[in-house]
Amino acid sequence: MDLSQAILLRNSLRNNHVIMAYNGTVSDDLMVTLADLLKERLVANDDVKRSKLIFAVFMEGVQNLIWHGKEHEENMGMILITEHNKEITIMCGNRIEKDKTQGLKDRLAQIEGADKDTIRQMYREGMSNASEHDGPGSGLGLLEIARRSTQPISYTFVDVDDHSVDFILAATI
Amino acid sequence: MQIEATDRTPAITLTHNPLKLVMAGESFPEDVSAFYGEVITAINQLATTASGKLEVEMAFIYINSSSIKAMYRIFEGIDAYRQAGHEVQVLWRAEEDDDIMQELGEDFKDRFQALNFTVAQHG
Repeated sequence: MDLSQAILLRNSLRNNHVIMAYNGTVSDDLMVTLADLLKERLVANDDVKRSKLIFAVFMEGVQNLIWHGKEHEENMGMILITEHNKEITIMCGNRIEKDKTQGLKDRLAQIEGADKDTIRQMYREGMSNASEHDGPGSGLGLLEIARRSTQPISYTFVDVDDHSVDFILAATI
Repeated sequence: MQIEATDRTPAITLTHNPLKLVMAGESFPEDVSAFYGEVITAINQLATTASGKLEVEMAFIYINSSSIKAMYRIFEGIDAYRQAGHEVQVLWRAEEDDDIMQELGEDFKDRFQALNFTVAQHG
């Protein structure tokens, strides 16, 4: 990247109201460090209830990156946080194997069309089934994000090649 | 059992006389199974090692979703103690105006309807 490209990137971040941007390996230490930075900024806003929602969404989104990053060789994740018109949007992106996308797509479609009460019921049922969930998580992460967001979650899948897909999930509080 | 709180794990005490389990603080350990393993084991052993009324008090600030999986297993152990014929009283405390922890308490109460389970906010 040359310096003029760096300026363009900076302008793009600025024009899109990005307050935090990260691309690379997502570790547990990084999550805690970024969470502390985010907390400091949120505490300054002095809205405790909203801060807790933002913190919960951030933690679940980034934990997904850590767990699913481990499954992929490159182990790369992207975290973008924007703040505009008093709304915070947290976007988490990672690369996943194409043959693992269908289950995720089905689950997201289910959550996307559900109202808050339905999501809460799905969450409660998920708590009971969490012990059987495959992997380090509980299977509750996406529901937690959907539950704490003040707007419906949005997401996209972009093909990288025959085997990989870039997945991005966005939640606004 | 006595576990000191850290920035990301709760304080946990389990005493036999009186029989009481108290958990308080944050819960987003790096390795949830490693952190909660011995707690789950201790709770599961209560039915054979303890007797009398069990008091449970929980006051969390934040719990991540993988800790909820462990908490569910702790509640299963608590409920097993009740099923063994003992009195159990659960108090779930949420900080004032903490809707997330209030709702989570209600969710656990909903999952363990046979438990004497109170969700309360405190200042």
